[in-house]
Amino acid sequence: MTREKILTRPNLSVEWFRNNTTTIGPIIFVIAVVAIFQVINPSFLSYQGIITLVYAMSYFLIAACGLTFVIMTGSFDFSVPNMLKLSALICVLYIEKIGLLVIPVALLVCLVFGFINGLLLARFRVPSFLATLGISIVLDGIAWYLSKGHLQIMQDVKFRSLTTTFIAGFPSILYWGIGIWIICTFLALATAFGRRTYAVGGNLEGAGLSDINVARQRIYVFMLSGFLSGLAGVLYMSQMGGGSVNIGADMAIPLFASVVAGGTALTGGVGGPHRTLLGVIIITWIQAGMSMLAIGNDIQMLTFGLIAIGMSIATIDRKRIKIVK
Amino acid sequence: MVMPMDDGLLEVREVSKTFDRVVHALNDVSIEARENEIVGVVGENGAGKSTLMKILVGVYSPDKGEMYHKGKKVPFPRNPKEAARRGISIVYQENGVIPWLKVYQFLFLGHEDKYIKLMKLQMDKMREQACSILEEFHVACNVESFMHELPLSTQKMVEIARAILGVRLESEDTDTTPIIILDEPTSPLTDDESKELFRDLLKMKKNASFIFISHIIPEVMEFTDRVHVLRDGNLVAQYDFSKQKMTEEDLFRAIVGRKSSEYISRTEEKKVAGRKVVLSAKNLTKSGHFYDVSFDLYKGTCMGFFGPAGSGKSQIIRTIAGLLNFDEGELKVKDQELKADELPHVRLARGIGYFSGETGKELFLNWSIAKNISIINMEKILGKIIPVIHFNAERKMAENIVKKLEIKAPGVGTDCYSLSGGNKQKVSVGKWLERNPDILLLDDPTIGIDVGAREDIYEVLLEMKKKGISMILVSDEPKEYSVLCDRIMFVREGRIQKVLGPEEFRKVMST
Repeated sequence: MTREKILTRPNLSVEWFRNNTTTIGPIIFVIAVVAIFQVINPSFLSYQGIITLVYAMSYFLIAACGLTFVIMTGSFDFSVPNMLKLSALICVLYIEKIGLLVIPVALLVCLVFGFINGLLLARFRVPSFLATLGISIVLDGIAWYLSKGHLQIMQDVKFRSLTTTFIAGFPSILYWGIGIWIICTFLALATAFGRRTYAVGGNLEGAGLSDINVARQRIYVFMLSGFLSGLAGVLYMSQMGGGSVNIGADMAIPLFASVVAGGTALTGGVGGPHRTLLGVIIITWIQAGMSMLAIGNDIQMLTFGLIAIGMSIATIDRKRIKIVK
Repeated sequence: MVMPMDDGLLEVREVSKTFDRVVHALNDVSIEARENEIVGVVGENGAGKSTLMKILVGVYSPDKGEMYHKGKKVPFPRNPKEAARRGISIVYQENGVIPWLKVYQFLFLGHEDKYIKLMKLQMDKMREQACSILEEFHVACNVESFMHELPLSTQKMVEIARAILGVRLESEDTDTTPIIILDEPTSPLTDDESKELFRDLLKMKKNASFIFISHIIPEVMEFTDRVHVLRDGNLVAQYDFSKQKMTEEDLFRAIVGRKSSEYISRTEEKKVAGRKVVLSAKNLTKSGHFYDVSFDLYKGTCMGFFGPAGSGKSQIIRTIAGLLNFDEGELKVKDQELKADELPHVRLARGIGYFSGETGKELFLNWSIAKNISIINMEKILGKIIPVIHFNAERKMAENIVKKLEIKAPGVGTDCYSLSGGNKQKVSVGKWLERNPDILLLDDPTIGIDVGAREDIYEVLLEMKKKGISMILVSDEPKEYSVLCDRIMFVREGRIQKVLGPEEFRKVMST
């Protein structure tokens, strides 16, 4: 009986805090980031500042949500930034030929590459780090081939209005981002698909014994990640109005950092897209805040590298992994 | 107090070890190794063999006990290096060999410092020494070949030679006889390779004493001089083969044996005639593990595969679950043939569920009880029109199970981490109770849990059987077979030896 008593005994506040660090940590982090930037730069939270922050985080949030599902299964998707780039370039290159049909085409291409990523991992047993890195380079090559390295400008007004129309004071990209985030959260927490994703990441062998087609689930997750990267690319192009093969360069580490900062551990099985929102806010707002203060790319990259490492240390469950490769 | 015997080289007395103050791994166990002999330590999985050996080489420290070396009382070693200084070394079951090293490199691995002259390794000297050492131990191999090129039995011999060499290089006094612990050395070897190994081992006896850990009875009978039998952490018997005549049956019973009073007569032999065959296997073979396994499983009955560890019984059940594939033969569910390489989820779709008692294998420990129960019952909690999880239905389902199985937990939202072993197991059984598969495979369903929880789980399983679920059982606990099974197949060395009913089984086990 004593055992049950111990179990039901209300936790001390310190203990409660320790048990919920992955939830509270990011919130405190966000408050700290906002406070620091607001003190240094009073226009950080002005209307114009907030619009800048919204532009910086929304497409990023969509890509990060896709990556979150992959990390939840304990894998990794390096190809997200280049998937985003290819999708954006397809839009700008072919909009004059096929009109708005470029959107489904771009999404389909990304979906296919996501499928290949998943297939490489699930069927050919290539570690996801390597498979997605390889595919990422392939995507880069395709992007170079299609664009010849030139800067492309998006001329189509309809396409651009997808994200730049203001509704209730905010650009429509915000509603895209939040909408996708809500759908992803719902998918993760309230559907069989989400349960199975957590299961594959939490206990791979157990998942196989629990009525889950592990290989198929992994492929689906990579397809979702590809699709959302593609969507992020489309919206990126619509928002920015142009770009070259440099789109998405240096995005891999901030993306990863934002997922991990939200509380989705690299070990898989915990966290989720609902947490990624906070991570994205932390990372993109630091990025935007630094840009507003004219802090260079060098310091920014350095910061994100350190945040990514720090957050990995904070969130990985070291009790569960025996060997790190 | 009895003085240690004259030829006693190493002796430990009344060693006890508990883990987490709960699990009694060893209870007052005393064993002894004499000069130039092979002494066996045998027992089922979990009997405490490995724990005892780890104490001897200083990986674990015992809670209590004494150690004597050549009649002198000495403290237990604190680490393997210290054990080596006293002359004790171990050759582990697996992963001892580094395949891409040459034989002489591997032989001196970790002792290179003794062959350094002017910052340079003296390769020639190492090679020469390696040759003479291998010759001394009658190991026939080329010191220049890579480890992975050698046959497995020779690799083992080189490992053993390395262990003896390590003792010689480390030990304090030079004329100590090395004591080498062999932890199930034959498990990766084929029969022929094992025989080869033993032939060499007998020649090495004049250089060292061996403590030989095994659960394979024939080899223990043939090659050891004396044997200690461990069961559930207790020393239950010791035999001196030079003085006592024993049969394999005697030793087998000493290893698994229970007193007949422990058997509860619960099952009546059911009439098989008229029942439907739900699963049938014909000449099922996976080379290296089991051969020509054929059986019919009837609806609502339970069949057990019984045999010592390493007999292939667990491989059989894992093959049926889809965790291993088979090489030859046929497996049919209700006249539908199953492919050899189907994964567990495909087998489950055909009605074959797999329940393992190993905690953490099929539970998601950081999930709540409710989620663990619902994961294999998804379609019951998804909405009919929109496939969304209905959390109310999920909770109710879990609450039913928790109430029915009397799972002790504050609520269905409790993480499985915080449950006791028995309650974790009940959650596992509970989800299968809810799922209601045609066939349920039980792989050691009550391993490591206390008697009360065990009885509860038997009750649920018997109830499921009554409902018409067919079962296949594999266990290390003979009692379990007589409680649950209608037919018991004896498996030895991968082959079915005989088929018994529960009554006959009880008779065999209690005589």
